[in-house]
Amino acid sequence: MNEYSLILCIVNSGFADEVMVAAREKGATGGTVFSGRGTVREEAENLFGITVHPEKDIVMIIVKNEIKDNILKNLYEKVGLNSDGHGIAFSLPVEEVAGLMSDDLKKKIKQSEQNN
Amino acid sequence: MDKKINKRNKNINKTLNGGLEAPKKIKILVTIIPRKKVDVFTAILESYQANLQIVEYGRGTTPPEISKYLPHMDPEKAIIISIVTEDKVKHILEKMENYYFKIKNAAGIAFSIPIESIIGVKIYKFLANITEENVWTNIV
Repeated sequence: MNEYSLILCIVNSGFADEVMVAAREKGATGGTVFSGRGTVREEAENLFGITVHPEKDIVMIIVKNEIKDNILKNLYEKVGLNSDGHGIAFSLPVEEVAGLMSDDLKKKIKQSEQNN
Repeated sequence: MDKKINKRNKNINKTLNGGLEAPKKIKILVTIIPRKKVDVFTAILESYQANLQIVEYGRGTTPPEISKYLPHMDPEKAIIISIVTEDKVKHILEKMENYYFKIKNAAGIAFSIPIESIIGVKIYKFLANITEENVWTNIV
């Protein structure tokens, strides 16, 4: 069974920080942000009365499966389609991972947070 | 005529005894590394016969409570999306974790995503690096 998933969150440009805040609230550590361009059919825009801003931020976060659903829910509530970010978030299965934070570093951070 | 039949039967036996191979599965390998090391890592991945690589540029979002333990971490990132065969993925990731990510200022993360389906034999052969020498249809 896969231990990790990749969450992709596509939001309007400038809302990547809000995505990370929402993800961290539910246990995510870090992510990577890159830019993209959204496309939409003009007919759909007119039909649904939605204007799609083309400039997008795409946020990629690797998370453990136990916290994936909570993070997705929080993203939906904080940066979802009803927010200014007009975001969508989904997850992909990840089969193997290399380079995640070592347990030593996690312990150091936890100790430092407790000391503070 | 008997000689031809015998040769054909010999080939069939060779096939039934393991000459046939299922197509190799391919996966997406995503590697996120400091921007300055992108040429190093694309060359490393090419050495593993990753024929297609797409590079995007982005930035990391490491929070301050973690980044103080990683002072040399460059927030400017490159995201390399490559396609490799399934049999190579584990080896690549082990090498990344145990060797390449330990190179100075090259710490990163890499992970694989399964590909469910693909259309086009030529495209598949290109992505899986199936050349005329190792083509799986070249049996019997």
